[in-house]
Amino acid sequence: MPTEPLPTALLLAAVGILLAASVLASRASGRLGLPVALLFLLVGMLAGSEGLGQIAFEDYALTFRIGTVALTLILFDGGLNTDLASLRRVLAPATALATVGVAGTAAVMALGARALGLGPTEALLVGAIVSSTDAAAVFSVLRGAGVSIRQRLAHLLEVESGVNDPMAVILTLAVTGALVAGERPGAGIALDVVLQLAIGLAGGVAVGYAGRWLLARARLSATGLYPVLTIALACFAFGAPTLVHGSGFVAVYAAAVVLGNGPLPYATGLRRVHDAIAWFSQVAMFLLLGLLAFPSRLASVAGPGLFLGLFLAFVARPLVVILLLLPFRLPLREIAFISWVGLRGAVPIMLATFPVLAGLPVARHVFDLVFFVVVVSAVVQGTSIGWVARRLGLEVQATPTPRAMLEIHSTQRLAGEVISFYVERASAVAGSRISELTIPEGSAVMLVARGRELVAARGRTVLEPGDHVYVFTSPEDKAFVQLLFGRQEED
Amino acid sequence: MKIVEFLRPDAVIANLSGQTGQATLAELCRPLASAYKVDGQRLLETLLEREKLGSTGIGEGVAIPHGKVPGLPGLIAAFGRSTTGIDFRAIDGRPTHLFFALFAPENSAGAHLKALARISRIFKNATFREALLRAGSADEIFRLIEAEDAKY
Repeated sequence: MPTEPLPTALLLAAVGILLAASVLASRASGRLGLPVALLFLLVGMLAGSEGLGQIAFEDYALTFRIGTVALTLILFDGGLNTDLASLRRVLAPATALATVGVAGTAAVMALGARALGLGPTEALLVGAIVSSTDAAAVFSVLRGAGVSIRQRLAHLLEVESGVNDPMAVILTLAVTGALVAGERPGAGIALDVVLQLAIGLAGGVAVGYAGRWLLARARLSATGLYPVLTIALACFAFGAPTLVHGSGFVAVYAAAVVLGNGPLPYATGLRRVHDAIAWFSQVAMFLLLGLLAFPSRLASVAGPGLFLGLFLAFVARPLVVILLLLPFRLPLREIAFISWVGLRGAVPIMLATFPVLAGLPVARHVFDLVFFVVVVSAVVQGTSIGWVARRLGLEVQATPTPRAMLEIHSTQRLAGEVISFYVERASAVAGSRISELTIPEGSAVMLVARGRELVAARGRTVLEPGDHVYVFTSPEDKAFVQLLFGRQEED
Repeated sequence: MKIVEFLRPDAVIANLSGQTGQATLAELCRPLASAYKVDGQRLLETLLEREKLGSTGIGEGVAIPHGKVPGLPGLIAAFGRSTTGIDFRAIDGRPTHLFFALFAPENSAGAHLKALARISRIFKNATFREALLRAGSADEIFRLIEAEDAKY
């Protein structure tokens, strides 16, 4: 055995190469129409024991642990960026999809797996494991294909996948637990699910409010310490509720929503840090899952795996989504789209490591099957999402990204914010001089980005369609400023 | 500038019957199409075009859909009340009850913006909003708007 620091140096060199290779591989996503995550997974497989890299990695426990941490940080970032008003608009259908929908998908998938000749326990396990969707996968494909979809639809998909992982986690752990104990999974699971979701939600909201209080009073000397505090909150929001039988994933998402919709100090910086952490987590998690897979073993489950992947895309997901969403009177085109975009991500693969850890005899077979289902789902649904959105007429015109950004960095809680708008012909301000804008005293136009130029916001400056306009607004004027300008740009 | 200069009593609807945002906007355009001899479909498309950029539901149950239409004689407006409330994707996520639709001629940017400011100003008053919701008839609604408008 070589002595330290050589093993660590080797590890870091390998990690560096793998991370960089994954990040660069992501650039091919748009061209191939594949979710970026799938490319990370492929890089992992290439580097694995049966690929070019010959890295022997078969540590399911480590994978589960890193996967849980990564998912916690990804959900925290998702929660931070979930606007409460949009959440409220899609809460009912998203909650239905994320709870009953997940259980329904698991049940239908179990039937499909039974049809393949899997034993009842194995079938139930496969169903539970693949039951949740991954919004990041959906959005990475849409972004790559240059397709923007209606905001409410996008929010619904985002919130659904933000809150449906816990349900899949609870189901998988419950089914595995029952199998290990030699019991038949029964009605007790339903009660357990409700309990875990409720404790998780309560715990998460509590941590969120405690976090708000802490962040507002912390008065840290370096701005770089603020994200450390929010990372701590994310870890604690997962850990503490889980210890008292709550769902940590629900808790971390809820805590982040509470924090993200409150007055965050140094908000822009914090969001950027968590965005980067979420990306890092995604890359790391998929790389690891790719390393863990054995392509030769996958080949042996190709037939059943393909069947289950297609069954999920064409039968289970559409059936459950249609039955659940019809009472919500959503447009049929939107229901059709939601049925189609049930992309699976890292969560199922990570969950598939759990039965292996629990020592179930069927676990490795289940792991390989699940891996295959995720890849099929990413390829089949991933490559067709843009086309489906266009065919269903759900695409909306995306605004071009401005060449400059203006934002406020502040460690103190400030009233007011800088909002950027994209001026279109239908905006009330289009064609007006800035001096004509009836913006209240507490707000002002600050800067205009027009093509390659930055234009000073003088009274005489005429706002033209195609301009990106940065407006400083106080909280009380925000609604009116939005009324005048129209399309607010996402950051 | 006074709101009653461009809002006529016959363009006030006490009970909007539409269940969706689009049906409601169409209802608001109808009295204007007959009173000012303009193409109602054109008015509706103008409003829908603006809604695409983001809802004009400014919260507290109020929406101010608006747009510019070439060839109008001046500013024209319609007001409608929905007692049940409509999901208009308002920024606060709550149902919208009070709709004030405003149209301006193509070259009137200044007047258009002033009118929008004035309209959103009067709706800031919570007592006024409640009075509008309780009002018994279109006439009473018009008188309430006129009285509130005179305060500023």
